[in-house]
Amino acid sequence: MKRWSVLLAALLLPIPALALTGEEAMKKSQAAFLYPGKDFKARVLMKLINRDGQERVRELTMLRRNVGAPGGEQKYFMVFFKPNDVKDMSFMTYKYPAKDDDRWMFIPAVNMVKRIAAQDKRSSFVGSDFTYEDVSGRDIEDDSHAIEREEKVGGRDCYVVKSTPKTGDADFGHKLTWVDKANFLPLKEEQYDRKGARYKEFSADEVAEVKGFPTVVRRTMKNLQTGHRTEVGYSKTDYNLGIDDSLFSERFLRQPPRKWVD
Amino acid sequence: MTKIFLVEFSLRRPKLVLLLAALLTLVFLSQFPKMRTDTNPKHMLPDTSDVRVWNDKVDKTFALYEDTIVVGVENEVSAAGVLNPDTLGRLARITDAILLLDGVASRDVNGFTTITNVTAEAGTLKVGPLMPAAPKTAAEAKAFERTLFGNPLFVDRIISKDGKTTALYVPLEKGANGAEIAEKLRVIVAKEPGPERYYIAGDPVARDTFGAEMFKLMAIFSPIAGAIMFIAIQLMFRNLALSATMMGVSMVAIIWSMGLLIGVGFPVHIMSSMAPVFLMAIATDSIHIFNEFYFRYRERRGDQDAKLTAIRETMAAVNRPVRYTALATAAGFAVMLFMNIIPVQVFGGLIAFGTIVLRLLSFSFIPAVLTFVSEDKLKAAAEGAARDRLGPALGRLGAFGAARPGLTVAAVLVLAAISVWGMSKIHINNNLVSWFKADSEIRVADTAMNAALGGTSLGYLVVESIEPPPKSLLRGDLPPGGEETLGAARRVSSAPEFMKDPAAMRWIEGLQRHLEASKVVGKTFSVADYVKRINRVLHEDDAKFDAVPDTKDSVGQYLFLFSMSAKPSDLDNVVDPTFTKANVWVQMKTWDADAMRQVIAATAAYQTAHPLPVTVKPAGIAYFNLVWNEEVLGDLVLGFSLALAVVFVILALDFRSLKWALVAYTPLLFTILLIYGVVGFVGKDFDMPLSVMSTLSLGMAVDFAIHFVSRFRQRREEEGARETVAESLAWTAARPGKGIMRNALLFAAAFSVMMAAPLTPYMAVGAFIVAMMLLSALFTLLLLPALVMLGRRWLAVE
Repeated sequence: MKRWSVLLAALLLPIPALALTGEEAMKKSQAAFLYPGKDFKARVLMKLINRDGQERVRELTMLRRNVGAPGGEQKYFMVFFKPNDVKDMSFMTYKYPAKDDDRWMFIPAVNMVKRIAAQDKRSSFVGSDFTYEDVSGRDIEDDSHAIEREEKVGGRDCYVVKSTPKTGDADFGHKLTWVDKANFLPLKEEQYDRKGARYKEFSADEVAEVKGFPTVVRRTMKNLQTGHRTEVGYSKTDYNLGIDDSLFSERFLRQPPRKWVD
Repeated sequence: MTKIFLVEFSLRRPKLVLLLAALLTLVFLSQFPKMRTDTNPKHMLPDTSDVRVWNDKVDKTFALYEDTIVVGVENEVSAAGVLNPDTLGRLARITDAILLLDGVASRDVNGFTTITNVTAEAGTLKVGPLMPAAPKTAAEAKAFERTLFGNPLFVDRIISKDGKTTALYVPLEKGANGAEIAEKLRVIVAKEPGPERYYIAGDPVARDTFGAEMFKLMAIFSPIAGAIMFIAIQLMFRNLALSATMMGVSMVAIIWSMGLLIGVGFPVHIMSSMAPVFLMAIATDSIHIFNEFYFRYRERRGDQDAKLTAIRETMAAVNRPVRYTALATAAGFAVMLFMNIIPVQVFGGLIAFGTIVLRLLSFSFIPAVLTFVSEDKLKAAAEGAARDRLGPALGRLGAFGAARPGLTVAAVLVLAAISVWGMSKIHINNNLVSWFKADSEIRVADTAMNAALGGTSLGYLVVESIEPPPKSLLRGDLPPGGEETLGAARRVSSAPEFMKDPAAMRWIEGLQRHLEASKVVGKTFSVADYVKRINRVLHEDDAKFDAVPDTKDSVGQYLFLFSMSAKPSDLDNVVDPTFTKANVWVQMKTWDADAMRQVIAATAAYQTAHPLPVTVKPAGIAYFNLVWNEEVLGDLVLGFSLALAVVFVILALDFRSLKWALVAYTPLLFTILLIYGVVGFVGKDFDMPLSVMSTLSLGMAVDFAIHFVSRFRQRREEEGARETVAESLAWTAARPGKGIMRNALLFAAAFSVMMAAPLTPYMAVGAFIVAMMLLSALFTLLLLPALVMLGRRWLAVE
């Protein structure tokens, strides 16, 4: 009789150990979205489109190398091709968790490498609707996360995670992320401003499997207040190419090795 | 005696007439709750007008906001001005609270904590908010001061040269309620009391103030004008029923006209807000009916049905002049329908309608009411009217004009000559801010901000490249280098990326310096300023590099670098996405339309001296004001000529004589000449309200001459055999002249109220109408007799 009642109690009680918390969902999502593989390479085409449909283009090669485990330090290397006058400009970031990034930029017209302050991760990345944070990730610890509900996006089951900044200094009030239950990629994200109005919307428009890693190869960020949007497409996407740590240096910033940037 | 159908009907069925009038009034009154005001000066021109279409396009191309509220903060107490930790802390808290307001385009609010700064610190390039957090100590504040003044982009824009005043620019989302937000801003700054003075200024605030003053005029000043007229009429006729009738007539006309305006869906503009006062004044024309009725009633006293006979006789006698004065007034206002400025059109139509309603009521409502007035009261009042001194005095005035015609005309001619000289000094200008009184919140704020910063009146110069650029430019601008540079130079100079060309950058920079040499320009701002700033900052803040770099690639790369961290709007505001157009911001220290004209002239001169394959087109609110100013001038010429022609035709039709039309015209012309002469001497700008007044005044001021000439000729027909021309003139000056003078006095009384109104256009209109009415009455009673005497043979009155 005693044994039965224990079994019954175990069946009736919730099983917290198996359910996912909001924070865990976001951690898994960040790992799947920004940390897959040891390293990563893609040719990135960004279209910056204003309300009237006028387009500006940014084209670059992006290289990434993970230094630590998911959520840890990363190094990014970018070489620009378009617009024409910024050809050969290159940009390098050392990303640290819970600390300001280090950024450098090479300006070929004056043959100069300049360190760039990174105090504002919420500013626009190369004039697009993506912020630096949108590109390379926001520290999970900066927000508190809660799974609000579960919902389908494009036929796929998702957790809807609400992330609210722990301190009030962020320019947004909160965001909702639709995290794919199966592969943990963020399929959709809504950012709300401090007045509670939805002002930015991210969508993963195409997901492809590259070397076994589900990868968002087309994405859009829309600014609902200005009507401006940025569409991003990845091509020549690849993982685990064996990118050497020495690439991420001022020397190569000035003269990126051809094999990595074509 | 001719019987007038409407009068006969009203005498037989007075109750029905009054009931009908009351019912119709209720119908029009029911429209009043739908009333809305429009105080946006942009709506003076239709939204299809070139300047509005172009300005909208510029706003869109450069992501500019239509409305921006400016919060000025001034600290005269602290030695450091606003750059002390306390004030900076307040500023940070105020900005933060503003960012949370609904309707504020928070992403583009520009103040210390939000504006983008470009600096180099310890070899690191920093593009980000100027003051992410307020300094806590005096030393930190001092360091901030160095940073602030280290970037010339900020001086005169967000900080005054003496550091005592700063400005916070708060752009509004489309459709946001500027008045509400301004009120919330006042609440926010009120929570931060200290030694600072706060100013809330900008277009939306001006419009809000304007709207409030408009309601004040309609809800307070119009009733006061009505009350004054009521008292004046009561003093003249000493019969409450008559005074009430006259006021009733004007009320009914006002309610019908405003009800129609609102019912049809027009908003109330500054012009139409004056309609009640105008209609009240025009309603005083029915004073001629009462004036004549009193004389007739006295003459018929003792007869059977003395009252009804007197009414019939009166209506027959005044029928023609009253009809034609109404026609002249209505026509004078109706010509405004041909003008380009919407509120003027609406106003013209509104008053024309109201005038016709008034005349309709004169022939129905007034006779109907008169049937109810008790004979006893009439007798008493008529006795009172008999003991008047005004009539005889006016008779002597007319007699003087008739007796000394040469002297009178000569004196008037001398005055006219002086006036012509005065008119030559007239300066046409519109200044929207000067529509507010000098001690109004908006003027005080504007004056303070203009004194401290680069200027509150904003204009744009849109520089656009013309395709293809001439070869000479390509050759002249080649940087040293091989084939590749040549190719690059050729590529850069092709139109789409033209604004990145150092030649274009330097040209824009030169234009800015050229404009800043002008007294009216306080500050200019362009994409070249960013490029120069980045160039300097990249080179260890070396002043030598405070210049446009030599290659187009450098410009492109600098701007790219800037855009990597700046707000998107920072670049969007000054250059279009394809770099074919650049937008130069020009802050002017005065709202005079003339200032923008000077800027355009200076730009044209610069273009001639420094040819470049670009066009430069002005835009912005300052440009709108200029265009509008010119429309006013064009409208004035058109409207004035139209009104002159129409009034002359009506006079000629009324008198069936061109000669009499010419004579009746003269007092009117001299009145206007004299007033414009005074306007010229006083140095008052000739602006929109005045130009409109001059047009509509024609239709109103000619009324007196119509009454005078009509009644004089009637008198000659009736009594010509028994009295001399001079005697008839004196009689006309005394009897209908009394009506004329009473009419003028009532008019003046009503409009004198507007001289105490809170907006200067109202004051100007008030003064203008008072002067015009009194002068034109005087000229009619003095100059007309003189002219008739001089031309009596030509006019065949003998």
